[in-house]
Amino acid sequence: MASPASLGSRALRASRRVPVASFQRRGLAAAASGSFQYETGDSSGIKYASRDLPGPTTTLTVVAKAGTRYQPLPGLSDALEKFAFKSTTKRSSLRITRESELLGGNLSAYHSRENLVLRARFLREDLPYFTELLGEIISKTRYTTHELDEEVVRVLKLGQQGLLASPSSLALNSVHAVAFHRGLGEPLHPTSSTTISKYLDVRTIAEFGRAAYARSNIAVVANGASHSELSKWVGEFFTDTGNGSKTLKLSSPTSKYYGGEERIAHNSGNVVVIGFPGSSSFTSGSSFKPEISVLAALLGGESSIKWSPGFSLLSQAAKEFPQAHVSTNHATYSDAGLLYVTISGEALDVAKASTNVVEALKKIASGQVAEEDIKKATVLAKFRALEAGQQTDAGLEATGSGLITQGKAFQIDEIGAAIDKVSGDKVKAAAKQLLESKASVSAVGDLFVLPYASEIGLTV
Amino acid sequence: MSAPSLAPYILKRPWLKRWIVPFANWYADAAGYRRLGLRADDLIPEENDTVQLALKRLSPKESYDRVFRLRRAFQCSLAHQLLPAAEQTKPEEDVKYLSPIIEEIEAELKERADLESIIVQRKK
Repeated sequence: MASPASLGSRALRASRRVPVASFQRRGLAAAASGSFQYETGDSSGIKYASRDLPGPTTTLTVVAKAGTRYQPLPGLSDALEKFAFKSTTKRSSLRITRESELLGGNLSAYHSRENLVLRARFLREDLPYFTELLGEIISKTRYTTHELDEEVVRVLKLGQQGLLASPSSLALNSVHAVAFHRGLGEPLHPTSSTTISKYLDVRTIAEFGRAAYARSNIAVVANGASHSELSKWVGEFFTDTGNGSKTLKLSSPTSKYYGGEERIAHNSGNVVVIGFPGSSSFTSGSSFKPEISVLAALLGGESSIKWSPGFSLLSQAAKEFPQAHVSTNHATYSDAGLLYVTISGEALDVAKASTNVVEALKKIASGQVAEEDIKKATVLAKFRALEAGQQTDAGLEATGSGLITQGKAFQIDEIGAAIDKVSGDKVKAAAKQLLESKASVSAVGDLFVLPYASEIGLTV
Repeated sequence: MSAPSLAPYILKRPWLKRWIVPFANWYADAAGYRRLGLRADDLIPEENDTVQLALKRLSPKESYDRVFRLRRAFQCSLAHQLLPAAEQTKPEEDVKYLSPIIEEIEAELKERADLESIIVQRKK
């Protein structure tokens, strides 16, 4: 590297010292040294977890409980995310970029409704360098006004335009707002530009950063790093992490489901999203209901097999409307969940398909569904849950958020076991309960054609 | 752009500082810009990208005040008059508000140029 400052960096020297042979090489007969379970630890208040998947690369993330749900002012989570990897008191953002380019690393940041995630992916032997980098980002970012004006706000506005231009993301944000009002209902990106000019300034963002990246509010999660290495470097490089902000406490009241209807005119697509109260995530404990994810798989809409409509009830229901695309998702959060069906496409087809969707749901509730289909759905739900846990992105965020809230990592084997136990009666009971509760309906697009909730037989 | 300066050399040597500072204060006062209500940083030539960027980074208040001082000084110059003593810049008001930003931008540019031209030697 060019400057004496980085030459002196212990992390870089340690990166170089590690002999190449130290990452895992397995002969044919050797047992897999990697474990599928997370090992957890605590280094003076900072929780960390790692999973030593065999392979030459590592994914290291810092998960902070500071998603849009916890932001005290609109747009703060988004702005803090955009400030990740900007200049710190030790080095400039350009140097961070160039150094990680030289090491072949990949840096990114994103936020969801509950979490803010900083992620670095790199070669296994560079763990010390990137641990130091993430530790520096969360404790020493400078939050300068010119970076806010020249870089962050520009990207924020692009995110905002992306949200406003896409009917499906607009509908999804709208259905969350209708279902949960504040907290989980906050949109992922600010929807109007007044929020950017009115609420965002560097002092507020820095204060929010201090509260978000407090010891008790973050978790460090690694995939493909040995636990002893990770605990050593976290202990060394996360010592400057703060204890929180004096003026700002991040909190969000327990989510309550409201339900209702919202209609937004839009001229570049038609989307109807029908939402019902779902199950919270596995790490929440008692309010975790595996039957909801089985119900989501049973409703389905998108086939998992090519060239076949699939067994799922909604793909059967929407078969006559090839211009409409139906899919069912289940979004889980720490204390609530939302099961939602998205119908998009041509306005007329969307209108007709949404009637069929509600009919299909009523059929399950009244018990007119084959045991066979429920079995298929159970297996599919199990596969989806396990696959999501196995893929590093979702698994890392879920693990981090579980560690912060419950001190418990996301152990996917247990979820698989929970889904296995779901019986057909439970699924039918869950569907009945959904129809009894108020639905959340968002229609975005040609409002002349798109139906009201009462027209398709839902109570809001 | 920031001009080459002897100041760091002088400030490091207390004996030299004791000699030069009274002279420097006298010189700044005699230069006459303070009588027109200007500050030393108002005199930095602004016709280049670096200073233009630095001017954009000023806070709205500082930027407004700068324009006000420049226009007032222009008016005085056209009218061949000096400001009344109460409105002239006092030595303690003559602070650097622009040059730290210019230096920061120049450091950024230098770092960029350095990083563009490094030759990486990988450890075997």
